[in-house]
Amino acid sequence: MIELIEVSKTYLLGKDQQVQAVKPTNLQIQSGEFVVITGRSGSGKTTLLNLIAGLTRPTSGSVLLDGHDLWSLSDKEQSLLRNQTVGFIFQFPSLLPSLRVLDNVVLPTIFEESGAVSNEKYARAKELLATVGLSDKLRAYPRQLSAGQQQRVVIARALLNQPKLLLADEPTSNLDEQTETEIMELFRQIHTTTGITMVMVTHTSQLVRYGTRAISMAMGQVLNSGD
Amino acid sequence: MNLNLLAWNNIRGSAFRSLVVALSALLVASFAVSTTMIMRGAENSLRLALERLGADILVVPQGAEASAETALLMGVPAEMWMPQSNLEAIAAIPGVEKVSPQIYLTTLEDAACCSAPNMFLVVFDPATDFTITPWLKQNVGGELKLGEVVGGHYVFTPEGAENILIYGYFVTLVANMEPTGTGLDQTMFFTLETARDISRISFSRAVTPLVIPENQVSAIMVKVAEDAVPSEVAIDILQNVPNVTPIESPNMFQAYRKQMSGLLSTVLVVMGITWLLSFVLIGLVFSMAANERRREIGVLRALGATRGHVLRSLLAEAGILALVGGSSGVLLAALGIFIFRKTIVESVGVPFIFPSLPSLLLQIGAGVALTLVSVTLAALLPAYRISRMEPSSAMRE
Ligand SMILES: Nc1ncnc2c1ncn2[C@@H]1O[C@H](COP(=O)(O)OP(=O)(O)OP(=O)(O)O)[C@@H](O)[C@H]1O
Ligand SMILES: [Mg+2]
Repeated sequence: MIELIEVSKTYLLGKDQQVQAVKPTNLQIQSGEFVVITGRSGSGKTTLLNLIAGLTRPTSGSVLLDGHDLWSLSDKEQSLLRNQTVGFIFQFPSLLPSLRVLDNVVLPTIFEESGAVSNEKYARAKELLATVGLSDKLRAYPRQLSAGQQQRVVIARALLNQPKLLLADEPTSNLDEQTETEIMELFRQIHTTTGITMVMVTHTSQLVRYGTRAISMAMGQVLNSGD
Repeated sequence: MNLNLLAWNNIRGSAFRSLVVALSALLVASFAVSTTMIMRGAENSLRLALERLGADILVVPQGAEASAETALLMGVPAEMWMPQSNLEAIAAIPGVEKVSPQIYLTTLEDAACCSAPNMFLVVFDPATDFTITPWLKQNVGGELKLGEVVGGHYVFTPEGAENILIYGYFVTLVANMEPTGTGLDQTMFFTLETARDISRISFSRAVTPLVIPENQVSAIMVKVAEDAVPSEVAIDILQNVPNVTPIESPNMFQAYRKQMSGLLSTVLVVMGITWLLSFVLIGLVFSMAANERRREIGVLRALGATRGHVLRSLLAEAGILALVGGSSGVLLAALGIFIFRKTIVESVGVPFIFPSLPSLLLQIGAGVALTLVSVTLAALLPAYRISRMEPSSAMRE
């Protein structure tokens, strides 16, 4: 599913100051795995996830998604690949405040070829919102929802196009413990029912137990790739 | 849901910013359209006035050029006199085909009688006239009888009355001419015969009688023969007839043209500065907006938006604001000019005629197009920069 070959990422901070956020890394993630990446703040977890998603260009090495080298694709092809095969759950609130819940969920559709949202998509969005327990909030605006409810909407949005890969960057960091457990149970349920490949970043090591494999990072280095 | 709706939502989502952009667009559009409308209106008005005069050369007493032009353009009455014998002298010059005298008079100031105090009166001689008579034949179907007058577009008979009273004499308004935007619209035209009759009556009925000097005329209209060169004829007149100034019709209203082109360059400079400032302002507002929305744009990229999508949605946002601001701007400008057209003529001191519908639509369309292009260009650089950003960097705080 995912293969990182000697992938590294260095950010230039100033003239001759730079930080190697991810040191050269080899990593393989198989279809159907639920990988949990842990590590301290600044250890390079988000950068690694962004590299997997093609949201940042590696300084060296190559990223293969389903055998395709991400960086040999054009912007259009890469975007389409993200749109169709990858779902994202971010660390920060990522719903568009000016859109209602239902429109937020169908949002990825407007970047498809046709540019318009079909009735089937709306139907699927409603179904997904029912799955995450928000059937009664279709017409609400994000600010009218709690943080946990908002994150559920984000999960529904991520699943809209039936992606093969779900990437989550500290999806529960803004939530209380009980909501965190609810969201993690939801992830477990999604993973077992759909068999989707999942990669989740967290710095709460207790959450490792939800995954099928644990990876830890420190100072840009993948210490234990768990296989 | 689609990309344009997203742009529209962003506009609603940041109302203040959108308002600033739309207002700048409105300002630029209304300014551009109102100035072109006034300038073109003035130019058209001059052209129409020249056509109305219908003479190749206008001969006036020496020194009276300016007041004659002001009278014809702005309707400010002027009196000027020269010997009637000039008529024969000019007619004798080679290349002159027709000559006809005109006498310029004024109604009394504050005369309780008149619809407009201080109205400019043009007296012509139907026997020789070649400028007003053809119009009369076409529009009135004959000549003016004793006591009949034709008026410029804005001359009217007082409500409830059947006649217009001047110098204690009742004249009948038989027709109005098309508007020219000049003083000719406030001018009354009648024959020499009527003028003499008014003068005669005025001695018994008016406080101040109308005096028409014997054997004097105010101006002489000259039509040049087909094979003659007007400028040469004008020089001949200048050399052979004492104390007159011939004005060739293309040179007529030179003073106004100069004044207008002076005004035009000032207006162009101010317009350029306004445009530039708005351009920079809009550019800044958009780069602020793009910056503020970096994270959101990063998220959209992660959801599958291409660079093109990001660019298009930002430009659509600019385009919508430009269309809304620009079209309200041009419509306001057109409306304002229409309502205040008389005030404009008085305060700017140039004649003005409101454009015809096709020309109005053209100017409005051009104004909106100009605004659309300008605002989109101003937004282009910031929109392009943010669309090229790596999604991961865009998402970082
Ligand atoms: N776009 C960037 N420009 C410059 N430096 C960056 C950029 N992104 C990340 N870094 C740096 O790279 C290092 C790793 O950052 P990263 O965000 O991957 O860590 P993290 O493990 O996700 O941390 P956290 O738990 O706080 O989210 C940090 O030192 C960070 O400052
Ligand atoms: Mg992180």
